[in-house]
Amino acid sequence: MTDVQSHDVDILIVGAGPSGLYAGYYAGFRGLKIAIADMLEMPGGQITALYPEKKIYDVAGFPEVLGRELVDRLVAQVEPFSPIWLLGDRIEGIERKGERWSVRLSGGDCVVSTVVLITGGIGTFEPRALPVGREYEERGLIYYVPRPSELADKKVVIVGGGDSAFDWALALEPIAAEVTLIHRRDSFRAHEHTIELVRNSRAKIITSAEVTAIFGERQLTSVEVTAKSGSVDVIEAEIVVAALGFVAHLGPLAEWGLEMSKRTILVDTAMRTNLPGVFAAGDITEYPGKVRLISVGFGEAAIAVNNAMTVIDPSKNVFPGHSSEMS
Amino acid sequence: MAYAIGAACIDVKDKTCMDVCPVECIYEGGRKLYINPVECIDCGLCVSTCPVDAIRPVEEFDDKDAEYATDNATFFSAKLPGRELPLGNPGGVSRIGTIGLDTPLVSEFRAG
Repeated sequence: MTDVQSHDVDILIVGAGPSGLYAGYYAGFRGLKIAIADMLEMPGGQITALYPEKKIYDVAGFPEVLGRELVDRLVAQVEPFSPIWLLGDRIEGIERKGERWSVRLSGGDCVVSTVVLITGGIGTFEPRALPVGREYEERGLIYYVPRPSELADKKVVIVGGGDSAFDWALALEPIAAEVTLIHRRDSFRAHEHTIELVRNSRAKIITSAEVTAIFGERQLTSVEVTAKSGSVDVIEAEIVVAALGFVAHLGPLAEWGLEMSKRTILVDTAMRTNLPGVFAAGDITEYPGKVRLISVGFGEAAIAVNNAMTVIDPSKNVFPGHSSEMS
Repeated sequence: MAYAIGAACIDVKDKTCMDVCPVECIYEGGRKLYINPVECIDCGLCVSTCPVDAIRPVEEFDDKDAEYATDNATFFSAKLPGRELPLGNPGGVSRIGTIGLDTPLVSEFRAG
């Protein structure tokens, strides 16, 4: 673990999705000191969480681009400006300190920033809970497999039929004692190729069945599996991986005192919110005529950062000049 | 904009769409699933998962089945038979579970 740190920046970008990453580029281009925070461990926001392997067709200049590739390119665009990455942390609280904002993160770090730019999209992603056995969280029920080697020689049950379920089955199959993948239906949502690899591996696949109970004194020891046909089985397991996708929540943003409409933040034409020095851009903003697209988010990010520039340094212009004229 | 579920879902209710919806705005009625148009964030993830191609943007419902575009909203705004109050915007299917009721349009639907 690293020590708790305090960061002093010009702009804190909350949300590392496409709009946030592009805002990072623009802030860097304007010479600002940047921090980028996101609850997910990886940049890319909704693209990374929901459709990294989907092709995107409506980004200017890219007739088609894979979600994952677009994220990589956006990261490459902001990286030269050395942003401080604060990934895997939730924003706990935001407090006005004189003319600046003091922001507390769940990991304990603190960021003091002149401007806060919210590019939070549809909110924070949390793993969808298994309908049963939540009490086994931290006692064998997990939602991610960041380090497969930690599950070596374990009896693992994976629940789900999407890419994560199959990727993890494939990663664990060579090292775990047993891998059983259980899916509610008989068709899957993962890549054909990965499904084929898992089918041809040591891993066992059970379809049209659900985990209906989890047992174990202290640690999880077995799961009850009920098939659509009604037959009930008990399978030994030390680890249950619930790979059921993500659910988006707005999270603590709703308590910041922002003027909101449903799950969105109201902004003016400069992407200013009702709070001083707080801007918003991307899917999370709302105004008459709003269109929720990545390309609009990019535009809003540029509007927000360049207008924020005059808050950070009143002697500066909103207009940044053309990037093609800089060298 | 929002997405809506058409008649193809009636008596099918595959529910894969419910598994992928990141805001849990797809609700289960007796014979059909319904998208809450207020809670829908237009991400479109449900569209490609539907095995019977029942999900489309509201604007793409044509004369033949236009009533289904608004019927998804009706499921939440009208009092369903046997309920005291409309469902409104429950904020996620996991908060209310299966409804077991349908709009008149759906409950009166006869395949043919």
